[in-house]
Amino acid sequence: MTGHWTERLSEYLDGELPALERASLEAHLAGCAGCARTLEELRVVAARAARLQVRPPGDDLWPGIAERLEPRAARTLDLGAARARRWSFTLPQLAAAGLLLMLLSGGAVWLALTRRPAPAPAGISTAPRLASAPETSRTADTAVSAAAALPAAYDAARYDAAIAELEGVLREHRGELDPATVRAIEENLRIIDRATGQARRALAADPASPYLNGHLAEQLKLKVALLRQAAALVGARG
Amino acid sequence: MEHAGSAVTARDRAPGTVPAAAELKDAAAAAAGDTRAFERLYRAHVARIHSLARRMLGADLAGEVTQDVFVRAWQKLGTFRGEAAFGTWLHRLAVNVVLAERARLGTRRGRFAEGEGVMDALAARPAATDAGLDFDAAIERLPEGARQVFVLHDVEGYRHEEIASLLGVTSGTTKAQLHRARMLLRRHLGS
Ligand SMILES: [Zn+2]
Repeated sequence: MTGHWTERLSEYLDGELPALERASLEAHLAGCAGCARTLEELRVVAARAARLQVRPPGDDLWPGIAERLEPRAARTLDLGAARARRWSFTLPQLAAAGLLLMLLSGGAVWLALTRRPAPAPAGISTAPRLASAPETSRTADTAVSAAAALPAAYDAARYDAAIAELEGVLREHRGELDPATVRAIEENLRIIDRATGQARRALAADPASPYLNGHLAEQLKLKVALLRQAAALVGARG
Repeated sequence: MEHAGSAVTARDRAPGTVPAAAELKDAAAAAAGDTRAFERLYRAHVARIHSLARRMLGADLAGEVTQDVFVRAWQKLGTFRGEAAFGTWLHRLAVNVVLAERARLGTRRGRFAEGEGVMDALAARPAATDAGLDFDAAIERLPEGARQVFVLHDVEGYRHEEIASLLGVTSGTTKAQLHRARMLLRRHLGS
């Protein structure tokens, strides 16, 4: 047993030694019972740690947590004129709707990149909920359970044209919207754009993948839907 | 993620797991102010968070820090983007809260923070006594740095690069600490 090699045994165990050192260490192990035994013990320690189970606390910690939870401010975000009243939501509702879109697009990226079969992300049916802002749990329900059929192909040009047009409308009327709403919309657009970018890059490597094509189409649909909502907000204030 | 069973290990956080629909719904509802939904999330994840806190900080502080983690999660739910499972997001937040607490304690304890020697003294005891020592208890007695790295790497399944960035050290340091922890724990395997 030599100190030098003993110190490297954990790295060897974890497969983190460079090839050359790995070969030298293996040569040493063949002739050193001490190091071989230590290696085996380290392996058992690591395996034991990975198998350690989680254990709930002895006391119920929830009451102490519950009393410290600040109620969410149910401030109403009034988008302006009286006739726009149907477009006003509370901040939490808006946050929940935004969160939902993020969840959908974020989850969808993961699904696309790992090809695990799973429900498709909700598409165009989600966004209208953002604007009409029904009670939150229904929003989540609808979107999470929606499993839109994936189109076999998509017409990129058609989406791109719709997106360009709607972006134009939004740019023009941006100043008429509440800044918080604009931020929520823009944040969601960024997320969708990121998902679209990832899907396009994945497609470059695997252009024939029906799943990736469908996923990209879903993201573009989501973007159109979101932009339509934004445009509708502008129109409502007309 | 299922945490109700007794055979759940800390590694079941399974990064990249498809977020369960029910958890996403609860996370969205909690973000909008629903404390009942948040309590369901608490019940599902408390064992894992408490076990992390206990192993990193010791049983005395684990309860209090676990509560801090969930209060913090409630405050920060608005930043949860659903890019990972809720459990993964919560766990990352918990690690940060635990490490902040660790740092606070370290500052308070000054030069004793490393806890050097505790394990070495333990190691000098007869093997028969050591064998009776619970593996979990042995982890809690590891020197500070070795313990943090060991829990994050071998128990929780983090990679060296992640741990190094969380602790603000190099991965060379975390590898050395991990090895030290494993070497010290060899005698507490109960055989
Ligand atoms: Zn040797």
